Amino acid sequence: MSSKIASPIMHSAAWRISLWATLAFACGTVLVFVFLHNFVADDIQRRSDAWLSGEVEVLGDVAERTPKDALYDRVVGEVAELAGKEVPNKLLSESSSNDSVFFLQTGGDGSLKLWVGAGDGKPNLRAIRAIQIVPDHPTDLRVMGFDVPFRVASIRIDDGTNIYLGLSERDELRVLRSLRLRFFLIWLLLVLFGFAIVFFTTRRMLSHVREITEAASRIGHSDLNARVPTTERNDEVGHLARTLNRMLDRIENSVHQLHTITDSLAHDLRSPLTAIRGKLEMSLSAVDQAEQAEPIVAAIEELDRLTEFLNQSLDVAESKADALRLTRSEVDLDELLRIMIDLYEPSMSEKGLQIKLQSKGPIRIAADAALIHRMVANIFDNELKHLPADSTVTIQLRNEGESIALICEDNGPGFSEEVLAHLFERRVKGLESNGHGLGLAFIDAVARAHGGTASARNRRSGGARIEVLLPHAARELAKSPMAARQGAA
Amino acid sequence: MRLLLVEDEIDIQNFLRSSLQEAGYQVEAAADGKTAERVAIDGQFDILIVDLGLPDQDGISLILRLRQLGVRAPVLILSARRSVDDRVRGLEQGGDDYLTKPFALAELLARLRNLLKRNSPPSNEATRLRVLDLELDLLRREAIRSGQLLQLTPQEFVLLEYLCRNAGRVVTRSMILDKVWGMRIQPDTNVVDVHIYRLRGKVDGHGQQPLIRTLRGVGYVLKDR
Repeated sequence: MSSKIASPIMHSAAWRISLWATLAFACGTVLVFVFLHNFVADDIQRRSDAWLSGEVEVLGDVAERTPKDALYDRVVGEVAELAGKEVPNKLLSESSSNDSVFFLQTGGDGSLKLWVGAGDGKPNLRAIRAIQIVPDHPTDLRVMGFDVPFRVASIRIDDGTNIYLGLSERDELRVLRSLRLRFFLIWLLLVLFGFAIVFFTTRRMLSHVREITEAASRIGHSDLNARVPTTERNDEVGHLARTLNRMLDRIENSVHQLHTITDSLAHDLRSPLTAIRGKLEMSLSAVDQAEQAEPIVAAIEELDRLTEFLNQSLDVAESKADALRLTRSEVDLDELLRIMIDLYEPSMSEKGLQIKLQSKGPIRIAADAALIHRMVANIFDNELKHLPADSTVTIQLRNEGESIALICEDNGPGFSEEVLAHLFERRVKGLESNGHGLGLAFIDAVARAHGGTASARNRRSGGARIEVLLPHAARELAKSPMAARQGAA
Repeated sequence: MRLLLVEDEIDIQNFLRSSLQEAGYQVEAAADGKTAERVAIDGQFDILIVDLGLPDQDGISLILRLRQLGVRAPVLILSARRSVDDRVRGLEQGGDDYLTKPFALAELLARLRNLLKRNSPPSNEATRLRVLDLELDLLRREAIRSGQLLQLTPQEFVLLEYLCRNAGRVVTRSMILDKVWGMRIQPDTNVVDVHIYRLRGKVDGHGQQPLIRTLRGVGYVLKDR
């Protein structure tokens, strides 16, 4: 699996849950197997000990009864060799040479008297002498030249000699090893199988949660009437979906309420504004003298500014509640900035300002064209009103991967301390607002409504810097069902 | 030109009626949807102005209903709403137009003229415009005043062309912004005035009769008399 596909799975909750569950399961099964293994090992040891004790007794018996003549060695040796052929746990594939069993008889002085087994028996004798072997109690014995220890039982017979019968633990260990291997394989299978079951069931469960998350994240500014998918089941996931939907109901309600309020406020203010403006225009057309026209003209201009102020405050208010409605279309920011600069350049050069654009060509995003126009106009108006002569405004448009950066920098005096502290706050200072009041709040509002951000600060080299980040046009052009509903209301 | 004005606000209805009459329209007015429906079917109207917020029904429903009843006249929709309804967009694509309140009278008149022009068979598109001693060659993008070629930037030529096409009529700043720069914005600064000022410097040279007049608080006129 490539890391690209693997990494989201590794980061999923299903993966972590399965990992922990499997860990617990694996530990549990290991304990069970260790217990079983020890039980089997004890049992094998007990059997071989019983065999040893029995055989050594038989051998002792035979050794006692056999007359101490020339044939003694052969008779006892034969019996010992025969005994060696009936070793428990012996593998059939074992070669005919028998090195898993030895028979040793020492004389009363401790010298080697009779030896049946592989080698000359001297290392065995040395090992036996080194430790105390109690009759009837089989003991482990390490012998030089052998990898695995022997289990040795001994008996003392009447003629003062000791008989030792040793059985290599090789076969016993081999049995246990193959048992462990089998246990390990079974354990591995169980763990993998268990992991798979846990992983797929939790993933299935969590896929419902993921569906809910995806559906919830799709519910954006304009798509508030969508709901997350619900299931019939009455489990936690179904509960989550239903709770989320109830919450969305409430949010939609509040947003709808906000729209109703702002719309009716706009409507109730605009109708009288229309009537006033109309009357002013009519009285303007009736007067001939310029002196008489002046106050009427001023009133009309004030009224137009009041209207724009009203529009912007309502936009800012809606955007603060993340409820600004967008009508998205494809907007080329590069082209828009060029047109805007073309529009503002004469006014700027009249004031002795220079404006420069740094852009590498068309950058298209899905945005509300009217709002973006007004936002850029706001930025330019700000510069035009606040910069002293001989300043330079630099507009940069950059593609920064995830988002588009629109940066406006100047080399003027920058924002004052007091303004900087309350930047982007909605300060309704009225029409006398020195531009930085509602203007920046509106820029922020438009950026937010498009899922972006706006920031402003003073440059280290002096001058102000406003940066607007707008996400790429990756998201599809969303229709605006809220607006349609608004119209029907 | 017969015009039906559907507007429930009496103040607005009154000033619109007198302004429209002054502009040469024969105006009938209705204050609600029901009356409007009856009047529209009885009389032959060349154009309609419909406010969206009527007391008895939605302006758009009224327009759709009138269309069903066979009223073909273009409609100028007046809206005091903040957002533009999708259905208004639909109507706009169907040849109607909309205007947000509050508006400048000049803009209302201009939009009415455009709607009427749109619905009449297109006249042969002129390649030259002439206003008094000012002549515009639309193909070569050249402007000549009293035989003198004016040194205009492309943008200034577009602006002058727009003024010439509306010679004798008032155009507002927002109309200029809309038609010449293609954006509906309300700048807080005098950006349009500076453009006009520069253009005037080139068009109305020394000793010549000034053509571009400023009507403060209203807009600009290119004189044709």
